[in-house]
Amino acid sequence: MYQNKSRFAKVLGIASTVFLVIYTIFSVFPLIWMVIISFKSDVDMFKTLFIFKPTLDNFRNVLTTGNYVKAFGDNFIICSGAVLVSVIVGVPAAYALARYNFKRKETVAFTILSFKFAPEILIIIPLFAIFQKLHLYDTYFGMIWIYQFIGLPLLIWVLRGYFEDIPVEMERAAELDGYSWFEVFFKMLIPLIRPGLVAAALLTFIFCWNNFTFGLMLCGFNIQTITVSALTYIATDTIHYGQMAVASLIAIAPEIVLCLCIQKHLVRGLSFGAVKG
Amino acid sequence: MARIRLDHVTKKYGSITALKDVSIDVKDNEFYVIFGPAGAGKTSVLNLIAGISDPEEGDILFDDAYMNYVEPRERDVAMVFENYALYPHKTVYENIASSMRTKKYRQPEEVVDREVKRVAAMMNISELLERKPTQASNGQRQRIALGRALVRNPNVFLMDEPLAHLDAKLRNSMRKELKSMQEAFHTTTIYVTHDYTEAMSLGDRIAVIHEGSICQVGTGNEVYYLPETEFVAKLFGDCEINILKGCVTEEKGRTGIRLPYGEEVYPVPDDVGERLQCAGVKDVDIGFRGWAIDYSREPRKGYVRGKIYTHEPLGNKVELTVSLGDDMIRFIVHVDERFEIDEAIYLHFNMDKGIFFHSETKEYLVRHNEEVMRGGGKNG
Amino acid sequence: MRGNMAKTKQTGQKLNKKPMNLRLRPWLIILPTLVVTLGILYPFYQAVFYSLTDYSLKKPVWHFVGLKNWLEMFKGVNFWHSLWVTVKYTIAALVVEMGLGLVIALSLNRKDNLFTRILKVVLIFPLMVSPVIATLLFKLMTNSSVGVVERFLNLFGVYGFPWTADSSTALFSVILIDTWVYTPFVLLLILAGLQGLPKSPYESAMIDGGSAWFTFKTLTLPLLKPVILITLIFRLCAAIQEFSIIYSTTKGGPGDTLMNLSLSAYRDAFTYSSIGKAVPQILVLWVIINFISSKLVKAWLKAKSANNG
Repeated sequence: MYQNKSRFAKVLGIASTVFLVIYTIFSVFPLIWMVIISFKSDVDMFKTLFIFKPTLDNFRNVLTTGNYVKAFGDNFIICSGAVLVSVIVGVPAAYALARYNFKRKETVAFTILSFKFAPEILIIIPLFAIFQKLHLYDTYFGMIWIYQFIGLPLLIWVLRGYFEDIPVEMERAAELDGYSWFEVFFKMLIPLIRPGLVAAALLTFIFCWNNFTFGLMLCGFNIQTITVSALTYIATDTIHYGQMAVASLIAIAPEIVLCLCIQKHLVRGLSFGAVKG
Repeated sequence: MARIRLDHVTKKYGSITALKDVSIDVKDNEFYVIFGPAGAGKTSVLNLIAGISDPEEGDILFDDAYMNYVEPRERDVAMVFENYALYPHKTVYENIASSMRTKKYRQPEEVVDREVKRVAAMMNISELLERKPTQASNGQRQRIALGRALVRNPNVFLMDEPLAHLDAKLRNSMRKELKSMQEAFHTTTIYVTHDYTEAMSLGDRIAVIHEGSICQVGTGNEVYYLPETEFVAKLFGDCEINILKGCVTEEKGRTGIRLPYGEEVYPVPDDVGERLQCAGVKDVDIGFRGWAIDYSREPRKGYVRGKIYTHEPLGNKVELTVSLGDDMIRFIVHVDERFEIDEAIYLHFNMDKGIFFHSETKEYLVRHNEEVMRGGGKNG
Repeated sequence: MRGNMAKTKQTGQKLNKKPMNLRLRPWLIILPTLVVTLGILYPFYQAVFYSLTDYSLKKPVWHFVGLKNWLEMFKGVNFWHSLWVTVKYTIAALVVEMGLGLVIALSLNRKDNLFTRILKVVLIFPLMVSPVIATLLFKLMTNSSVGVVERFLNLFGVYGFPWTADSSTALFSVILIDTWVYTPFVLLLILAGLQGLPKSPYESAMIDGGSAWFTFKTLTLPLLKPVILITLIFRLCAAIQEFSIIYSTTKGGPGDTLMNLSLSAYRDAFTYSSIGKAVPQILVLWVIINFISSKLVKAWLKAKSANNG
């Protein structure tokens, strides 16, 4: 009996390890390969696979010609602005959902989350008309306004869990100690939700950074997002594959850095109340 | 430093009524204990006084000032929460110092430092000051929470089971500490507990609360010796009071009681008899605490025969449960006596130590030497 | 010294109501959310309205046309084709990603060592990559002249695999990209769920000597149900309206092989400038999403309370 079980466990262990290795290759190899060919000259591109003389030409080309750097900057401005708005709007909302009891609270909470699910194009089509009427089309303000919808629902849901974990008595104790409501909020609550806030804000940033549809349809001449800009490297019949790789690398780099920063909080942040404490 | 009053207060949470028509009047500098079983509404009373929640009906007064809807921070009360409610991101030192660093109660830093250290020494947590509350044990956290409150000099201290998570020895010493502190500071204290020894030893007065209503307010002696209802009587004492059914009889002008275990009539003291006659009751419930019962291992006159059902050793004493007719009688005996289960035992109920209740309303009727008992019994 | 603290100023007058600022506080707190929520609700109602007009981006005037757009849509072939593509895409993506994510999460959770700890971080990376960039990478790798995948397939005698260029392999190709990007999402959520599982039932199961499969079936799966459901909700709602990957690979082609509802609505609105024709399709999509997700959320709440209770 025991023999059987351990043999079964052993087979399972080997199978799962093999499986993990294969999936890891599938998952990580494209990223590694991207880094490799970003250093490849156009000449080496066709001749070699892994061994070649590395060059920085591709980086030089992408960074100096075209508007990729500007797109990177635009994207950064829009995403930072959107994250800022999301935090300002979302933190109080998350607090309200965690602390106040009102009728149909769960419905409201779900409605907020369902914005995340709604088809983006459904919003974009009327927004396109509204934006043009209000002269918001192709402006930073308009883009920030629409981008903050991307992360807001998630931010609210993540932070709601954090607020719910703080005993309400602690807030009361602080009030009795003489703190005003604003002081309680900023001196007692914000420090306690900070890990969640940082994680959620960075996650929001990543979602904004990756967004494609809004950038494709609601801006284009003055402002270009990095995803839309990257697409031009496919569309034009370029043979500068190295530059494609560099463009991808530049678009991904900030996110990988952020991912490493928040990975500790990521699991907790995305647990949706399934994990407590 | 204030008289605290609740005047016909009703508090509801949704459809649940937590407190109904509660009135209490806590005198200035009084140590007032609110005592009752879990879910009775004890914490609700504190929350109303602190301003954490507002009553649906009735008034809250500090001295003569109405406090309804006044914000918690404007009330100047210090509260010890049952779940400590410490600030997890601040050190123990900062927790205790927090009130003195707010705009409202600002103190110069040297005063803060001195006060924090004084209170920490008193609470025996001086070595924890630089730690975070998460690095402290439950007992230590409770003392930190107490310290955070005691560093203040408020209108009233509100304490919600502040000793509940301490071990027995520490609880005893902290209880004494609290009592002497309160006597020295002269600050009104409202103390919630479900532990009757705490209630009896700390409280100048005890309010017994049950299902959102006050059952009785009185000194420790009053609630112990002169409980207004059988319910209150059952809440106090080491082993629960024994309630027996009795029949009032009269023979040659002397009032007696017949217990359901035989035909014998036990005479009652004159003051008790008079009152029973006046009330004109036929059936009574009589409460006997353990020490109101004598026992014998031999048959004796006036003793009724029972059978030992269980005996439970409690260190230096033994709690004996005797089955007698349909009833189970509990009382305490010395540890040096040996008892066997099912052994016959003979019990005698001292009518001069019994507490008489109305058999239907379960309300207090009379007991022997009421006035003496009010001042403190010679026994128990 | 203790006595010198400021005493509360007490007024004799009685407040009969909560002061205004206290009663308003909850409203003030949620005010910003309400404002931005209205900002998203207004375009939505606008969209419903557009579906009843012949509104176009090119013409300055528009007319009310009633249900004409809707009727034409239901009568036409394109809509049903797009719906079918949407369903195919969604089911394929969900089955592959949920299955793969679950198996990897369980494999990673079997042991806690340096290898699995590193993988738990590294395997999340693709989620950080924008679907458009992922497509870019895919194009690079499958490029017939420089692509590493192409070279790899050459080893097996496969030359010039058509990928997105042929309608028979297009769906497979986009699902492959979708899988690469979104399996980490499933993995992440299920890992979070696994981490939150209580330990004691497992200890008692071990004492009872239940087999690994039995433990999985009777313990892990039911306990994970809420997490699996919430993951499913998120993935479903994203896959059913997938736009970026298909747009950046083929814009719905070859032909209309990959023309799902999102792309079809995009084409009608921005290429053919007919907003009145585009909106009904996307409203249908929205109704489907809402219907399924509300059912799933109900199931999720039920599973969650069943586990807690």
